[in-house]
Amino acid sequence: MAIYVLRKLVFFLGAIFIASVAIFLLIRGAGGNVAAVVLGKGATPEAINALAHSYGLDRPLFVQYFDWIGNMLSGDLGRSFRTNERVSDLVTARLSVSIPLALSGLILGLIIAIPVGTYAARNVGTPSGAILALISQVGVAVPVFWAGILLSLLFGVRLGWLPTGGWTDWSVSPWGAVRSLVLPVLSLGLIMAAVLIRYVRSAVLDVMNQDYLRTARAVGMTRTEALLKVGLRNASLPLVTIVGLQIAELIGGTVIIETVFSLPGLSRMMLANVAAREVIVVQSTVMLIIIFVIGVNLLVDLLYGILDPRVRSSR
Amino acid sequence: MTKPQTNRPDALEVQNLVVHNTVLTAVRGIDFTLPAGGRMGLVGESGSGKTLTALSLMGLLPMGWQANGTVRHDGVDLITQSDKAFSSRRGRTISMVFQDPLSSLDPVRRIGFQVSSVIRRHTKASKQEAEAQTLELFRQMSLPRPEQLMRAYPHEISGGQRQRVMIAMALACYPQLIIADEPTTALDVTVQKQVLRILNNAVQERGCALMMITHDLPIIAAMCDTVAVMYAGRIVEMGPVSEVFRAPRHHYTKGLLDSQPTMDNIALDGSSRLASIPGMVPPLHSLPRGCAFHPRCSAASDRCRAEVPQLETGQRRAACWHPIEAGADATVQAGVTA
Amino acid sequence: MMTMSKSTHAPAPASGSAGPGVPISPPARKSRRRLPRNASLILGLILTTIFLTVALVSFFYLPSNPNIPVIRNRLLPAGTPGHWLGTDVLGRDIIAQLMVGARTSILVGAGGATLSLILGTIAGLAAAASGKITDEAISRGADILLSIPGMVTALVLAATMGSGALTTILALTAFFTPSFTRVIRSAAMGVLNEDFITAAKLYGRGKIFVLARHVLPNIAGVMIVQFTLYFAAGILTEAGLSYLGVGVHRPSISWGLMLNEAQQQVGVSSPLAIWPGLAIVLMVLGLNLLGDGLRDVLDPKLARRAS
Repeated sequence: MAIYVLRKLVFFLGAIFIASVAIFLLIRGAGGNVAAVVLGKGATPEAINALAHSYGLDRPLFVQYFDWIGNMLSGDLGRSFRTNERVSDLVTARLSVSIPLALSGLILGLIIAIPVGTYAARNVGTPSGAILALISQVGVAVPVFWAGILLSLLFGVRLGWLPTGGWTDWSVSPWGAVRSLVLPVLSLGLIMAAVLIRYVRSAVLDVMNQDYLRTARAVGMTRTEALLKVGLRNASLPLVTIVGLQIAELIGGTVIIETVFSLPGLSRMMLANVAAREVIVVQSTVMLIIIFVIGVNLLVDLLYGILDPRVRSSR
Repeated sequence: MTKPQTNRPDALEVQNLVVHNTVLTAVRGIDFTLPAGGRMGLVGESGSGKTLTALSLMGLLPMGWQANGTVRHDGVDLITQSDKAFSSRRGRTISMVFQDPLSSLDPVRRIGFQVSSVIRRHTKASKQEAEAQTLELFRQMSLPRPEQLMRAYPHEISGGQRQRVMIAMALACYPQLIIADEPTTALDVTVQKQVLRILNNAVQERGCALMMITHDLPIIAAMCDTVAVMYAGRIVEMGPVSEVFRAPRHHYTKGLLDSQPTMDNIALDGSSRLASIPGMVPPLHSLPRGCAFHPRCSAASDRCRAEVPQLETGQRRAACWHPIEAGADATVQAGVTA
Repeated sequence: MMTMSKSTHAPAPASGSAGPGVPISPPARKSRRRLPRNASLILGLILTTIFLTVALVSFFYLPSNPNIPVIRNRLLPAGTPGHWLGTDVLGRDIIAQLMVGARTSILVGAGGATLSLILGTIAGLAAAASGKITDEAISRGADILLSIPGMVTALVLAATMGSGALTTILALTAFFTPSFTRVIRSAAMGVLNEDFITAAKLYGRGKIFVLARHVLPNIAGVMIVQFTLYFAAGILTEAGLSYLGVGVHRPSISWGLMLNEAQQQVGVSSPLAIWPGLAIVLMVLGLNLLGDGLRDVLDPKLARRAS
C-alpha cells in the first residue's frame, strides 16, 4: 500500500508540474503581445513597451515562469495588472458560489443516478428499463445550459417560484443564496445524472452477472439483499473512477451554468479576465482548477486502493 | 460407503422437474429421489441440463428461466417458495458449491467475514462465536494457518484453498443437502483429489446428502452410491453406481464409459484410439423426434426415431427401446480409480 | 444481453415427447422482448441524415438571409407564412438560422472529431507499438491532459487566439485527443496481443507494416464508433462555447449562439430558446444512437462491456 500511495503522489506532483508548463506556454506563447492587446489599436510602440515592462512581461519567458511558479509555491498567486487585487482574494470571493454549486450538482446527480441506474439494471429488457435507457440517452444529449434555460423558463418565468438568475450573497441572506442556487444546481444535477445513470447501470449490470452475487444468494441473501450488500459495494469500484473522471466535466458544466444564471462565480471571473487579457489572473486560476482536478483524481485513486484489496496488494 | 438411513425423510424428492425459458426447454421432466445422507452423481455432457437442474433446485436460475414440477425438501415444495422464504433455507438446509471458487467469492471482503456472516445469518451465534466456528471449519477443511486465512482476501490464497473455503461456507450450517457443481473442474489436477477427499469426509461426518454434478465418471465412482445420467434434458439411465458402471443399459451411458481414458487405452503409438460417441449433443431448439440420442446411437430403430422411451421403474432404470442386456458386452470398464 | 431467449426462435420441441402432464410449451408470460437489435442504429441514421441534408441544402438554399435584420418582421410568432418558426428580435428568420447552425455544428464537431481521431490514432498506435518508455510517456501525458477541464482549455484558447470556428475546432482537438489516444492504445494493444500478430512478426514483417496492415483494419470499428460519439460531444461543446460567447460568432451562426441571443429575450419570446436547443438535442441524440448502434454491429465485444 505504501508503494502504491507513493507512486500516486509522484504522479500527482509530476502531473501538476507538466500541466503548469503547458498552461504557461499556451497562455504566453499563443497569446501574442499582451500589452498590445490590452492597449488596443493605435497604441504607440513606446506605450506598449512601457506597459509590458510595468507588468514584467518583457523578461525572458523562463524567468517569468519560475517567478510565477515560485510565487505560487509560496502561496502568492499574483495580482491583477489593472486593479492590483490579489488573485487569491479574487478567487476566494468567488468560491462561496462555485463550490456549493458544483458540489451540490454532483451530489444531486449521484443521488438520482445510483437508485435509478440500479433500477434500470434490474429491469433490463422490460418496458420500464427501456424507457429509463431512452430518458438517459436523451438527457445525455441535452446541453446543460439549455436545461438551465428551460428550467428558468418554467420555474422562473411561468411559475415565478424562483429567481431566473442573479445572486443574493450568503452574508445578505442565506435563504436568498440557497434560492438563487436551486435552479442552477437542478440543471447541473439533472444533466450529471443522465450521464451517470448509464455508468451506474452498466456497473450494476456487470456485477449482477458475477458469480459472487449468485454465491451471496446461495448462502441465504434475497435477490435485493445480495444486490445491495454485495453488489453495490463491488459496483462502487468502477463508479469511484467514473466520478473522478467526471470532475473535469462537472467544472465545465459549472462554468456554463454560472453564465446561464448570472452567478458571480469563479468561471464568470475567468471569462471577464480572459477578455481583459489579465494573464496572471487567468494563469493562476486555471492552475488552481487543474490542481483541484488532479487532486480529486489522486483522492479517487487512493480511495480505490482502500476499497479494492486487489489493488492494494498487487500494485 | 454408508448406506442411506431409512428412518429420516428423503433429502430431496424431485418429480417431473421442467426448466424452461420463453423459447427453450432445457430440463424436460426428470424424477429422482435422494434419501437422507445419500450420495447421487449427476452425469452428462455440457448442455445436457445438469447445471440448470442444480440451479433450479437452489432457486438460483438465471434471469428468464423458470422451473416447474415438484421438488420436495425438508417438508416443503421448493418450486413454490417465494424468494424470501427460499433464501432463508439456502445455506441452512440446502447449499451449493460452485465450479469456479475465485469468481464465486466476493473479491472485496475478507474470507473470515464471508464465512462467519453465513453462520450469523442462519444461527443466533454472536460475532465471536461465528468466528470461532469459522476457524474450526477451516481446521476441518485442513486449511493451513486458519487464523491468518480469516483475514485474507480471496485473491490472496490458492485455488484449492478457495474451494475449501467455499465448501466450508456451504457446510457451515450443517445443511441436509449439498449440491456440488463440478467442484474441481477449475482446479489444478494436483489438488483436485485433496479437495474431493475433504468434501467427502465433511459430508460423511455430517451425514448430509450430496448431489455431485460432473462429467468426470471416476469421481462419481469414488464418491456416490447412485448415479443418474442426463442427456438432452432427460435422465436416460439411473441406478447404483457399481451396477450402472459395470453393466450400462443405455447406449449413451456405454458410450460415455467407453470414452473415458484409462492407462491402457491411451496407447502412445496411436494404434488404439479412444472411443468417442459419434455426432454432437443436439442443440436444445432442434432436438430430434423420438429418443433424443437416436442420431448418435448404433442400435437406433424406427421406434427410436418416433417415440420417446420412458424411464423404467425399479432399481436399475434406463430410458431406451433397446437396452443393453447384462452380459451382452462385458468389456465396459470405467477408470474407477479415483 | 441478459436473457438467452433471443438467441433463437425455433419452435419448442414437439409435444407428446414428454411424460404425461408436463407443460412442454412454456406458459404465457409477460413478453420480455426488447426493441429490435438495430433500432438505435436506424433511428440514429435517420436523425443524422436529416441534419446532414439540412446542412448541405443550406449551402444552396436559405429561406432568407439569416444575418440581415428586418425590423418590421421582429419577433414574428411561429406559423407566420414565410417564417414558419417565427423570427428573432431583429426580424431574422429562425429556420434560416437553424439551417446555417446545422452547417456550423457539423463542420466544427466533425472537424474536431477528425483532427483528434488522426492525432489520437498516431499517438495511440505509437504508445501501443513502441517500448515501455514511450508508452508510459504517452499514456501518462494523456492522463495529465485529461485532467485539464476541456471548457477551461477552450476558454484559454479562445482568449489567446481569439474566438471563431477554427479556434473552436482546435479546442475540441485539444480536448478530445487524449481520450482518443487512450481508446486507440487499448484497442491496438488488444490486437497486438493476438496470435496472428506474433505470426506476422515471426514472418519478418516490420512494425509499420504490421500496424498498417493488421492493427488498423482491426481497430477500424472502434475508430468509427468513437468518431461518431466524439462528433456528438463536439457539437455539444461547440454549442456551450458559442453560448458563452467564446465560440462561433456572426456572420457565422451556431445553435449555441442563437441560444445566447435568445436568452436575453427569455420570457419575452420563449420559443426562441426552444428551437436551437431542440436542434442540438436531436442532432446529438442521433449521433449517439448511431454510435451505439454501430458499436453493436462493428464491435460486439465492446458493446457487451459498455452497455
